[in-house]
Amino acid sequence: MIKLKNIKKVYRTKTIETTALNDIDLHVPKGEFLSIMGPSGCGKSTLLNIIGLLDAPSDGNILVAGKSIKNYASKETSRFRNEKLGFIFQSFHLIPDLSVLDNVELPLLYRSISSKERRTLAEEALASVGLANRKSHFPSQLSGGQKQRVAIARAIVGNPEIILADEPTGNLDSVMGDEIMGILTKLNKEEGTTIVMVTHDERMAKKTDRLIRLYDGSQVA
Amino acid sequence: MIKHVLKLLWNKKASNALMILEIFLSFIVLFFVLSYVFFNLGKVNQPLGFETIDIWKIQLDGVEQRDSLEAVTTLQNLKTELLSMEEIEAVSFTESIVPFQNSQWRTGSADNGFQMTTLLVPVDEDLKKVMGLNITEGRWFNEDDLNSSMKPLIVNQEFIDRYYPNKSMVDSTFILNGDRKIIGVIDQYRYIGEFEENHPTVLSIAPYFQNMSAVLLKMKGNTPTAFEEKLSQRIANTTKSTGNVIVDLEKERIENSRESWVLIIALLAICGFLCLNVALGLFGVLWYNINKRKAEIGLRQALGANGFDITKQFILEILVLTGIAILIAIFFTIQIPLLKVTEYPNSLFYKSIGFSTLIILILVTICALFPSVQAAKITPANSLHED
Repeated sequence: MIKLKNIKKVYRTKTIETTALNDIDLHVPKGEFLSIMGPSGCGKSTLLNIIGLLDAPSDGNILVAGKSIKNYASKETSRFRNEKLGFIFQSFHLIPDLSVLDNVELPLLYRSISSKERRTLAEEALASVGLANRKSHFPSQLSGGQKQRVAIARAIVGNPEIILADEPTGNLDSVMGDEIMGILTKLNKEEGTTIVMVTHDERMAKKTDRLIRLYDGSQVA
Repeated sequence: MIKHVLKLLWNKKASNALMILEIFLSFIVLFFVLSYVFFNLGKVNQPLGFETIDIWKIQLDGVEQRDSLEAVTTLQNLKTELLSMEEIEAVSFTESIVPFQNSQWRTGSADNGFQMTTLLVPVDEDLKKVMGLNITEGRWFNEDDLNSSMKPLIVNQEFIDRYYPNKSMVDSTFILNGDRKIIGVIDQYRYIGEFEENHPTVLSIAPYFQNMSAVLLKMKGNTPTAFEEKLSQRIANTTKSTGNVIVDLEKERIENSRESWVLIIALLAICGFLCLNVALGLFGVLWYNINKRKAEIGLRQALGANGFDITKQFILEILVLTGIAILIAIFFTIQIPLLKVTEYPNSLFYKSIGFSTLIILILVTICALFPSVQAAKITPANSLHED
């Protein structure tokens, strides 16, 4: 599904050069639930950003479904993100001025579909995470766990093949974290969605199919 | 997208209300300034109805205060002297009501079945020749008119349009301080100034040697200014007074309009400054908003928005707010022509509404463009981690 070949990421300033990722080779087959662990600053989020085409590698190649996306133009990259990827973030990134339903609809806004269809799909996505009754609420009226469930609904509303989750349980207590992990596992098992998750939590990582570890930008396990 | 933007703006209505108010107030100020400017430019663009180039005006020093016989002789001699000079083509004597002198004689009558108010200008039979007045109907005065039993008058077109619309009034009579007969119609005679409205005006004939205190001269083209000294000397010798004043009518026209132009330019400058301030304010607010919403921009990019989508969204947001502010402003300003609050033509206010809308939209779009384009350049990886 996703293949990373010799991925390097170097941040350069006038005086200093920092290597964030060094020769990362990674293959994530379709339907796998992969977790990435490592200490803070080891490059986990950078790796996730590169997989999610939110950041470009300094060197190396990314293949998705056998296709190199290195030479994608900006518009193609946007379309790819919109149709193939779903994102979940540690701090939820819900737009506070939009209702829960409108937040979930967001990815569909960049597709050519009617507002009626958008609404139906968003309601279905919300129902699948158990928040059908909260669609008119605003993010400020929800608990942390509910916010993350809204974020998951937003990630799955466009029916993506891959979900990239950056510490999705990082801001939640263990009960809420387990609940979110349960939803992600269900998605992976029942829908066959490929999930790449960055986490600090060993307990959560153990629930995934495979765990890789990063240290100082290199893959160590 | 428009529905999405409307929802976003509605949910932030408290903070957006201030921006709407700012644009609304700018529109209102712009509307009134533009109405004033258009109204005055409309007047300036209308012809005066007479020539000012190569016309000199002489303000005589106290001739009318002399013994009447002496005054008549002086004026008769003066006319002969002036016409003998080859630089002078024509001479017309008038009372104190001369172009650009802020003196006017207003009279009225209610004896014709309606209230009539008009400007009255006593003139001699040579005024047409000197000032190049344009007779559109009937004829100009002749010497016989001085002894006519029914006093003849020449009126301007505005007089006809105001009091006898769609009628031919030549040879008709009406009452204005006695029975009067209209013998001709001129198109305009806006002698008060370029910024003065076109009032109904009546010209009456008076003998040039009675009660006249000013002389208008039609000069030959390119008469040197130095001739003024020779002319002054000749007038002084004839009138036995050195207090006469000679003025070039074209220079006086410019001088007369200067105050109005200064006011218009000052208003436009203040309005321009206001627009600049509003533009800078909007620019600042947009810039601040975009910086505050970096995480949202990153999120939208992560969810599939491309650079154009981001630019479009921010421009759309400000245009929707501007549209709301403009609609509210139009609702209030359009009451002026609809309720006929003033006597000014409705087209003036519609034109001002149109131009105010255009200026505000252009200003806002320019202000929104740069921050919106910059927003599209925000990299999602960085902005998502800034929150």
